[in-house]
Amino acid sequence: MKFTSRHTAAVIGVTLAAATLTGCTEEAGGGGTAAAAGACDPADVTLVGQVRNESNPYEAAWLDGGDAFAEQVGLTQERLTYDGDSTRQQEQISQLLAGDTECLVMNVLPNGDSDTPPIVEGAEEAGAYLVTQWNKPADLNVTDYDSWLSHITYDGVESGKQIGDALAEAVGGSGGIIALQGILDTGAAKDRFAGLEESLAANPDVELLDDQTANFSRAEALEVTKTLLTKHGDDVKGIWAANDDMALGALEALQQAGRDDVAVVGIDAVPDALTAIEDGTMTATVSSDGPWQGGIGLAIGYCVATGELAVEDIAAEDRAWYAEQFLIEQDNVADFVSPETDEADFACDNLFSRSQGAMS
Amino acid sequence: MTTTSPADADREVVHAGRPRPRRGISLSDAGPPIALVVIFGVFAVLSPDFRTVSNVQNVLDAAAVLAVVTCGISFVLMMGSIDLSAPGIMGASAIAVALLVANNRNDNDFGLFGVAVAVLLGAALGCLSGLALVVLKVPSFMTTLGVSAVGLGVATLMFAGVQPNVTDPMLEGWAVERFLGLAHLTWIAVACVLVGALVQRYSRLGRYAFAIGGAEEVLGLSGVRVAPYKVAVFTMAGAFYGLAGVLVTSQLGAGLVQAGRGYDFSAITAAVVGGTLLSGGRGGILHSVVGVLLVTVLTNGLVQVGVSPYWQGGVQGLIVVAAVAAAVLPQRRRNQVTK
Repeated sequence: MKFTSRHTAAVIGVTLAAATLTGCTEEAGGGGTAAAAGACDPADVTLVGQVRNESNPYEAAWLDGGDAFAEQVGLTQERLTYDGDSTRQQEQISQLLAGDTECLVMNVLPNGDSDTPPIVEGAEEAGAYLVTQWNKPADLNVTDYDSWLSHITYDGVESGKQIGDALAEAVGGSGGIIALQGILDTGAAKDRFAGLEESLAANPDVELLDDQTANFSRAEALEVTKTLLTKHGDDVKGIWAANDDMALGALEALQQAGRDDVAVVGIDAVPDALTAIEDGTMTATVSSDGPWQGGIGLAIGYCVATGELAVEDIAAEDRAWYAEQFLIEQDNVADFVSPETDEADFACDNLFSRSQGAMS
Repeated sequence: MTTTSPADADREVVHAGRPRPRRGISLSDAGPPIALVVIFGVFAVLSPDFRTVSNVQNVLDAAAVLAVVTCGISFVLMMGSIDLSAPGIMGASAIAVALLVANNRNDNDFGLFGVAVAVLLGAALGCLSGLALVVLKVPSFMTTLGVSAVGLGVATLMFAGVQPNVTDPMLEGWAVERFLGLAHLTWIAVACVLVGALVQRYSRLGRYAFAIGGAEEVLGLSGVRVAPYKVAVFTMAGAFYGLAGVLVTSQLGAGLVQAGRGYDFSAITAAVVGGTLLSGGRGGILHSVVGVLLVTVLTNGLVQVGVSPYWQGGVQGLIVVAAVAAAVLPQRRRNQVTK
């Protein structure tokens, strides 16, 4: 009796798991005939975009940008999400690479730095064209590989400084601010905070009253901000947050405390932050342009796969590079509310136009 | 016989077959409140910002959501089961309520009815955990983990890529408007604690939950059908998580899939710090509330005192372990779930 019920449970569990997996990994359309590397028929190219989850507006916009590029070249993009689960990301990648990889183009957001090497090795072995974004170990060099075309990321020090400066300006160049840091052991959190410190050095009358972590979370930022507001009271003139989710949590805390004299800045340009900037409740944010990220990775792979661009011709400084990011304030927020991709950005001779230099 | 009050009857059931000295207030019950007072006192001495009235209000407001989640989880822990479904159920109810009251995604404006639906959704998911536990005999650790994933899945489907922002004045008001110095949310949490304490003390459901944790076999042998009560306890816990999801939505002004992230373990921590045993049969709502306050005071105090964020996580963990160790010293043998 006990055995049967265990079996039933196991069967149901496995079925559920299988159902979930199949729901997420739709079969890639087409497949394509075998083609020599770098000379795929454009119609045979398979485009895959992979991010953590679609419940994150930024990553959903990323995949939409990938769709826009795919439509531009008459293809469809396979949308993959792995729920921020490293194991699942690797499983999806190995499943992809076990299929037809001759004309496979992947634009991948690795879950963390350590998830990048296996993806790169797999793609290299299978000969699939790979572009990664945001995360890679510093000692892993793109130029050591042929299939790993490019790695794109953003200079966190720069964005942290940009919003730091915007905040300093909003508080009139002097006054106390508090900082909400991200997850302390991530590169993004460290770099952005270093950027704030640079900005503070340039604005000596702005005083950092306190810095706390809210782990990039809106709910944690709400609690931490409430606590810091009771601690520092009216001395707080501005709040620097390492991402928009925390900035939005801080805005709720300010509203609950009845404060409307505090400037708030964040990074990421999520839709709610843009609305808040339009309303004037938030001061500034920084956009990496998610839809462009979703398109550009596929575009680089597509150009190489179809032979319009040779891997050897990509300059070393374009193999791992910082892309341009945009400071958004009230005067230019309208341009970013419904971001659209520009076909010209994805032309094979214009792929690296947003480069701000090689990764240091 | 005639003098046996319901409470005494309760105790007799709990400790059936486990003779122990009669007691008034034992050291094991007094441990967590003493720890709370000590920690509060230490922070009050160290930081003038901590001992202000507005900060005490802030601590109570901050404890509200965790208190509601802990109310639910306490009943499950009393039974000797475990419940990890809070993040999923809270996420599902958060998105559900955000889509049912006035919001920026659709034209719904159901007000309190929307809140009720979200709580019922939580209860339904909780019921699912309970049914999987008693019908399929899957351990509660796994069923609730699965139900959490189901809840997050439901939430993600309803989320559909665009965050629902709440514009309903009632729900937004819960977090902003105050009564006697505390946010309406906090009073809702106080009401939950009272309801939980009454259910625990005076209803058959509450007393059987205790008894199941204390000696399930004895209860079964005396002819009580245990299964329905287990399902009912998980259902009630689900309803509490559902309400907690609504409260988070009210605080954040938006429905988030991640509304309940981390609340499962915070609530278990709070319950255990308060003196509820993971092996079941001891503790209760009021114990758990002390635990909730202890955890919240700790989080708030470390910021007020100015401990570096790089140290806080570790320091907080150490103090929690020390507090649990001190509180449960007299009954250490029973507190060990894994040998």
